[in-house]
Amino acid sequence: MIPTLLFVAFVVMMLMGVPIGAALGLAGAACIALANSDAQWFGLLAVPQNFYAGLGKYPLLAIPMFVLVGSIFDRSGVALRLVNFAVAIVGRGPGMLPLVAIVVAMFLGGISGSGPANAAAVGAVMIAAMSRAGYPAAFSASVVGAAAATDILIPPSVAFIVYSVLVPGASVPALFAAGMIPGILAGIALIVPTVWMARKHKMGAHEASLPRPELWKSFVEATWGLAAPVLILGGMRAGWFTPTEAAVVAVFYGLFVGMVIYRTIQVRDLFVILRESGELSAVILLVVSLAGIFAFSLSTLGVIDPVTKAIVNSGLGEYGVLALLILMLITVGMFLDGVSIFLIFVPLLWPIVQYYKWDPVWFGVILTLKVALGQFTPPLAVNLMVSCRIAGVRMEETVRWVGWMLFSMFLVMMAVIAWPELALWLPRYLGY
Amino acid sequence: MSNIHEQAGPETAAADHDEKTVVPLKIEDWLTVIVMGLLSLITFANVLVRYFTDQSFAWTEEFSVFLMIVLALVAGSASVARNRQIRIEYFADSGSDKRQRALARFGSIMVFLLFALIAVLSARVVWDDYRFGETSPGIGVPQWWYTIWLPVMSVAIAGRALGLFIRRGRRS
Repeated sequence: MIPTLLFVAFVVMMLMGVPIGAALGLAGAACIALANSDAQWFGLLAVPQNFYAGLGKYPLLAIPMFVLVGSIFDRSGVALRLVNFAVAIVGRGPGMLPLVAIVVAMFLGGISGSGPANAAAVGAVMIAAMSRAGYPAAFSASVVGAAAATDILIPPSVAFIVYSVLVPGASVPALFAAGMIPGILAGIALIVPTVWMARKHKMGAHEASLPRPELWKSFVEATWGLAAPVLILGGMRAGWFTPTEAAVVAVFYGLFVGMVIYRTIQVRDLFVILRESGELSAVILLVVSLAGIFAFSLSTLGVIDPVTKAIVNSGLGEYGVLALLILMLITVGMFLDGVSIFLIFVPLLWPIVQYYKWDPVWFGVILTLKVALGQFTPPLAVNLMVSCRIAGVRMEETVRWVGWMLFSMFLVMMAVIAWPELALWLPRYLGY
Repeated sequence: MSNIHEQAGPETAAADHDEKTVVPLKIEDWLTVIVMGLLSLITFANVLVRYFTDQSFAWTEEFSVFLMIVLALVAGSASVARNRQIRIEYFADSGSDKRQRALARFGSIMVFLLFALIAVLSARVVWDDYRFGETSPGIGVPQWWYTIWLPVMSVAIAGRALGLFIRRGRRS
């Protein structure tokens, strides 16, 4: 009875627009107080202790660092030079600019760790370019929003770092490696319907008449950007850096490129960059720490076990349960961002994962794929909101285009469920 | 649709669009910049020292984690004042102006309640740390040097939430 009431209060608070962290913290505190009504101070001293415990983990330090990397590369002018180089390779033709947008978003995914930041960086360059070439603004916004969703799959990824902190037995390097192949598949899955739609609807009529950048010159200009993922991912692979260290090396590399090579970042921009990324990291970290209180209260109330038992004994079978979870999480994913979803649902779902002996790394990739789909499913899509704002269109107008992209990426998720090796082969091959 | 506004790019993130607050947000902003800068420098120094001298700088881990907690609280305080917490905006940011304002006030008073509670409870934890002379596991300094900042910053966050509550009640 008490858990049900509290859960309802929690959901109502969230729907009413109370910050997720506050809703989690208050619901958690209320649970703890009700469960320990006879203890000193109602056992509430566990609240600050769990606030600390939720946050005081060294691996979480990678989050502010990767957010900072994203903010720096966003302003460094790397995206523009990568686009020029990609156009020089594939040439000018119908459907080529959307293809470039997707490939560049995937490539930036190898540098930054969050989808909306990627949508902002790619959108700032590509949406104007695509509109000059004659693509409808709503189509460009759809392509950019969907392409940026590959970011949380392609390492480094803030979502994987949070998942790894929550789940024993899923290390950050293993998750990063596991996201690589599904991330690339997701990108290819977006390219196919995008190019097909562009050709079918004869979009981008002016594209063929635009100048093609010179290959060698654009390659030289793009080298600094091209080297960044090599440094980050290669450095981690070679054992030079931990994920946190790789992020901080990328910070200084990005600053060097932006301030010395391209001269797009001035000294006074540093204040804005540090403030913005600090605030954004704090927003994420606060939810992480307050979710710690919520998770603790769930475990003291003992609500997870009965729910788990009910689910596994429901007669749906392993794949029935998985299908149900996917359906539920895709729905939730339209309302909530990935980090919040992980923090709320991973503690709840963990006993189910253990019951069916699912691989924690594989499950993390599936969850992340679901979150990625949610990021560009209208009407409540984080990435699309960013790209629509840049393109100046309403999200309703993108519905016509994103449908096929969603379907195509959904097939990738099905493939990863059917063939877990798609996610698990690379981390095993690399020895994580 | 939980949305992180600042990711929408520089044009929406400009600090000059801030609403006026009684206590200037510059305080939190400067602290955020300093802590972020320190965190990057310490971690980077760690990498360099390890490569060039074979020595581990591992004791800095404790300090870095502490700085990260400070970052979450200090920059979190600014994000509360700017109303940039992750939240579901679908229902709260639609409908009549009156409804939107009422929901915004409800949200901010809940944030106030939570952090007021954390401030009281964590003050008690600090008192215990001080009374029993707890020392930190890594560097061995008194634990309350670290824990004291949770009640202090919780009061600040609660204050920011209260400020937002008042501003949302005033504006038409």
